[in-house]
Amino acid sequence: MMEPDAPSAQPIEVLLVEDSPGDVRLTQEALKDAKVHVNLQVARDGIEALSLLKQEGEFANSPRPDLILLDLNLPKKDGREVLQEIKESPTLKSIPVVILTTSASNTDILRSYMLHANCYITKPVNLDGFLKVVKTIDGFWLSVVKLPPHPQT
Amino acid sequence: MNLISDLHENTEWRAKYRGLLEDSPDAMVVVNPSGEIVLLNDQAEKRFGYLRDEPPGQKVEEIIPLGLAERLIAEAMSGQTSGGIELNARRKDGTEVPIEIVLSPLETAEGILVTPAIREITERKTVEKHLAQMEAKYRGLLEAAPDAMVVVNASGEIALLNVQAEKQFGYRRDELLGQQVKNIIPDGFAERLVADGTRTAAEALAQQIGTGIELNGRRKDGSTFPIEIMLSPLESVEGILVTAAIRDITERKRVEDSLRNSEERFRLMASGIKDYANVMLDPEGLVVSWNEGAERIKGYRAEEIIGQPFSRFYPAEDIHNGKPARELARATERGSFEDEGWRVRKDGTRFLANVMITALRDENGRLRGFGKITRDITELKESEEHLGKTMAELKRSNDDLELFAYVASHDLQEPLRMVASYTQLLARRYKGRLDSDADEFIAYAVDGCNRMQELIQDLLSYSRVGASTDAMRQTSCEDALARAVKNLQATIEASKAIVDHDPLPAINTDGTRLVQVFQNLIGNAIKYRGAELPQIHISAREAGREWIFSVRDNGMGIEPQYFDRIFVIFQRLHGQKEYQGTGIGLAMCKKILDRLGGRIWVESQVSKGSTFYFALPVGEQI
Repeated sequence: MMEPDAPSAQPIEVLLVEDSPGDVRLTQEALKDAKVHVNLQVARDGIEALSLLKQEGEFANSPRPDLILLDLNLPKKDGREVLQEIKESPTLKSIPVVILTTSASNTDILRSYMLHANCYITKPVNLDGFLKVVKTIDGFWLSVVKLPPHPQT
Repeated sequence: MNLISDLHENTEWRAKYRGLLEDSPDAMVVVNPSGEIVLLNDQAEKRFGYLRDEPPGQKVEEIIPLGLAERLIAEAMSGQTSGGIELNARRKDGTEVPIEIVLSPLETAEGILVTPAIREITERKTVEKHLAQMEAKYRGLLEAAPDAMVVVNASGEIALLNVQAEKQFGYRRDELLGQQVKNIIPDGFAERLVADGTRTAAEALAQQIGTGIELNGRRKDGSTFPIEIMLSPLESVEGILVTAAIRDITERKRVEDSLRNSEERFRLMASGIKDYANVMLDPEGLVVSWNEGAERIKGYRAEEIIGQPFSRFYPAEDIHNGKPARELARATERGSFEDEGWRVRKDGTRFLANVMITALRDENGRLRGFGKITRDITELKESEEHLGKTMAELKRSNDDLELFAYVASHDLQEPLRMVASYTQLLARRYKGRLDSDADEFIAYAVDGCNRMQELIQDLLSYSRVGASTDAMRQTSCEDALARAVKNLQATIEASKAIVDHDPLPAINTDGTRLVQVFQNLIGNAIKYRGAELPQIHISAREAGREWIFSVRDNGMGIEPQYFDRIFVIFQRLHGQKEYQGTGIGLAMCKKILDRLGGRIWVESQVSKGSTFYFALPVGEQI
C-alpha cells in the first residue's frame, strides 16, 4: 500500500517510557504547548514498554510507535535493558530511541550510544528548559527527520 | 757607730758613702785605680779578718788573689758593671772562701773608684751542691714516674719535663723547655700559680697542693684531652718551682660517662619496673630471680616460681612446638632476642607480651644465663587496634558522607524538578487569572525552587570533587587559565574586565580542577568588583616544594575577620539580592586544593582589592 507523505493525515505514534506521572503529564503539557499532533502512548516500566512494543497480551492492538522517548531509571526492567532489547530485535531496531533522563553521567551517555540510542537528552531542571527540549524533539524527529516506513506495511 | 777611719783624707763623698757602706749586708771594699783599698766596711773587716785600719793602701790582690782582680777592676774602670762573678777570696789567716762579687764604678773627685760588693757564698755553694744532687735524684724520679711530669717556674715556664710528658703532649723535650705551660695546658693551670691581690704565688699554690684538678691538655697537633693534675712545690736554686703530675683521663672520663649513661638507663628502667617483669634464668631456662613486676604481670610469687622452667609462661601450643627453647637458642646465638606474642598467667589467662631475652655471659664468654624482661602490651595493642578502627571508621564515614551528599543531591533533584516545573507551569498558565496574592505566592514558590536547584547543583559539584578519579598529569597552567578565561568569556566581556598574567609553569596536577579554581577566583574577582573596571592579574612563583599562584584584583576587598569564613561551604558575605550565588565557589576551590595536596588563602584590603593565593606541590616531573 502506497502512502502519501502526509504526516498530518495520520497522527505520529510516540511511546513515552516513564514511571513518574509528573513527568508524563509534563511531557503531555509540553506537547500540547508545542501544538504538535502526536498520539502519545505511555509505558510505566520496562516490562510494560517491551510488551507494548511486541504487542503482547493487552497491547495486541497497540500501534507500533514511530519514536520512543525512553527514561533510563525505570522500575522492574530499567531503560538500559529496554534499549538493548529494542536494538537487538530485528523488527524493533529501526525505531529511533531518544533517551530522556535526569542522568548526566558520562557512563550513562556513553553506554546508551554503545547500545545504539539515537540520541541522548538530559531533562532540563526547569520548565522552560523542558518545554524547549520537547519542542525541539518534536521539531526534529517529527518534522525534520524522515522516519523509516513501518515494516509490516 | 762603727766608723770608717784612718783613710788619707776625709773628703765629703767619703762621709756620705761611708754610711751607705756600713748598712750593706755584704762586704764592701772601695778600690782606686791603682788597686789600693781606700775604704772598707764592717762586713769586709769581719769576713776577711783584717782590721779596718790595718791595710791602708793595701792592694786588693791581697784579698782577691787570683789575678782576676786586675782584669775585673779594669773592666769596671771602663764603665762596665760586672755582676755575679764567683771567685775565691783569701782571708788574712790565709784560708780561702768562695765569694761572689759585684763590681761597679764610682766616679769621685779622686777619679774612678771601684766598689766591689763581696758576698761570701760558702753556705750557698753547699746548698747548691746538695740541690744539684737532689735535682739529679729528682730527675731520676721524674723520668720513672708513670704520669707525665712537668716542672714549671713562677713565670709559668716549663723548667723540666719527663718522657711521659713528651709522649702525652706529642712534643720533643727541647720544644717545650722554656716555653709557657699555657701552650700545653691552656686554661686553669698557669692562673693557679699567679699571685693576685689577696695572695702570693706561694699561697696560691699552697691552696692547690695535693688536690686533683681536672683540666684539658692540648697536644702539639692541637687536639685536646682531659687531664687531671696534681701540684706540688719544689724548692730549687731557681726559687719555688711547681711540679705537676699530669694524668690523661680520657679513658676514665669515657668509663664515667658510660657508667652515668647506664646508671641513667637503670634509673629509667627501675622507675618503670613495676610495669616490667624482670626475670633471670639459668642457662637451662630455670627461673633464678623474680621481681615485683613479674609477680604483678604473671601472678606467681617468687617462692612459687624460682627453680621452675620459664616455659610455663607460654601457651600450650607454643610449648608443644618448642618455642621457649627456640627463643633461648636465638638469644644465645645473637646476644638477644625480642618477641611479641601470647603468654600465660598463673591463673591461665593470656596476655599479649613484649619479651626481650638477653644472654648473660661471664668474662670468658661462657653463658651464665639469661635476663628476661616482659611487658604486658595487651592494653597497648588494644588501644592501637582501637585507634586503627577509629581511623578506618572515620574514613568510611567521610566516604559515606560524600556519597550521601552526592546521592542526596542527585535524588533530591527529581522531586524538586517536579515542584519547580509545576510551580512554573502554574505561574505560566494562571498569572493574572487568580488574584494578586496568588501571583505573589506562586512567585515566591518559583524563586525558592530556583534557589534550591542552584544549591543542589552546587552541592553535587562539590561532592563530585571528592569522587573525581581524574589522573594527575603534566599540565600547562597557562592552558588551564586560558580555558577558565574562555569559560568566563561572556562575563569578562560584559564587565570589560582585563585579565592578564605572568608566565605560568607546567606542573603535575589535575588540569580540570585547576581550571575550576581559576574560573572561580576570576569569576569572583569580577563579581565583587570595585568602582573601577576590574583588573585581574595572575602570577606564580616557586617556593621550596610548592608553586604559589596568586590572583590579584582591584575589587571591593574583604574584611580580615572573614578571611577564613569565605572558604566555608554556603557561607556568603552578601545578601542574595546584592550578589547571586550559593557560596560554593571558594569552598569548592578549597576542597580541590585539599585534594591536590595544596592550600588556599587570601590577603585583602577593603576597597583596595584582594589577592587570592593558592599553593600546589611541585610534584614529580613526568
